[in-house]
Amino acid sequence: MALLRRKQRDDQPIASIELPECTPICDTEPRQWVRVSGKVVRMTARPTSGQPALAISLSDETGIVTAVWTGRREIGGVTLGRKIAIEGVAVKHGDHLEFTNPGYTLLPK
Amino acid sequence: MNVIIAGAGSVGRYMAGQLQDSGHSVTLIDNDPKVVAQGQATRTPVGVTWCLGDACEVATLKSVGTAQADVVAAVTGDDEDNLVVSLLSKQEFAVPRVLARVNNPKNEWMFNDMWGVDVSVSTPHLLTGLVEEAVTVGSFVRLLSLEGGKARLAEVTLAEGSPAIAKELTDLGLPRESTVVAVLRDGHVVVPRGDTVLHQGDEVLVLVSGGVEDDVRRALVG
Repeated sequence: MALLRRKQRDDQPIASIELPECTPICDTEPRQWVRVSGKVVRMTARPTSGQPALAISLSDETGIVTAVWTGRREIGGVTLGRKIAIEGVAVKHGDHLEFTNPGYTLLPK
Repeated sequence: MNVIIAGAGSVGRYMAGQLQDSGHSVTLIDNDPKVVAQGQATRTPVGVTWCLGDACEVATLKSVGTAQADVVAAVTGDDEDNLVVSLLSKQEFAVPRVLARVNNPKNEWMFNDMWGVDVSVSTPHLLTGLVEEAVTVGSFVRLLSLEGGKARLAEVTLAEGSPAIAKELTDLGLPRESTVVAVLRDGHVVVPRGDTVLHQGDEVLVLVSGGVEDDVRRALVG
């Protein structure tokens, strides 16, 4: 049954796949599970304690958040200008929110 | 503060008791039914909330309110478990402060922000530091690393001939990335001010960040 559903999804044109519901970035609260989406506007390698880490800034029309994935230098498909959704719990760093190892979904270009 | 402690061995129970006494709200998690039952039956430490469960499971952490916790301390006798608890606390619950106990000093390199650890405490390293401190006068002893080694608490006992003796703190020329946090003299703690004058035999505690340790050593040891 799951396979059948997957099959149906594959048959649909990409644009009609339902996108997950996202919270506007300005309404994101620290320490609450949220999903936000936006464009990748900055990518930086941020080695911590000698280990690689990838930090990106994600922006929608309402604000900007940072996401850090530890232990990796790049993630396939996550490129500058790409639209992605991330989900997880953010922590407040100064005046902006930062996610550590959030789940991510690549959105259609 | 709302504190969650993973691991109710002697370390965890002692911490829980101390923190509860100073007015914090403490939850102890352990996966040994005997330990939890005994703790609940004897009500020791007093006032602590007990939870029987595996702290390495998100569901357990969620059930004890980790999402609202101010501090999580992973102090089990197992380094792997401590790392998993730390990572989950940081990644899934964005806990502002995560402390972890290092059991085997060989594992200490992993206890950093990669694994969600803000502060790691390694008893063997601490003990080595203290032993060094006891046997060495006039040299620079590192006591504690903070923020994964970015800042260190170090101690120097001023020996005869130290360039710092009879000088005011402001005249020591310490780099900006360091500061004297306490001076121990004849069993008293002197709170350092700019005009505090150092004597021979003073134990000077210095907080050093960045790579200025050599400059601090030069100013205090010579």
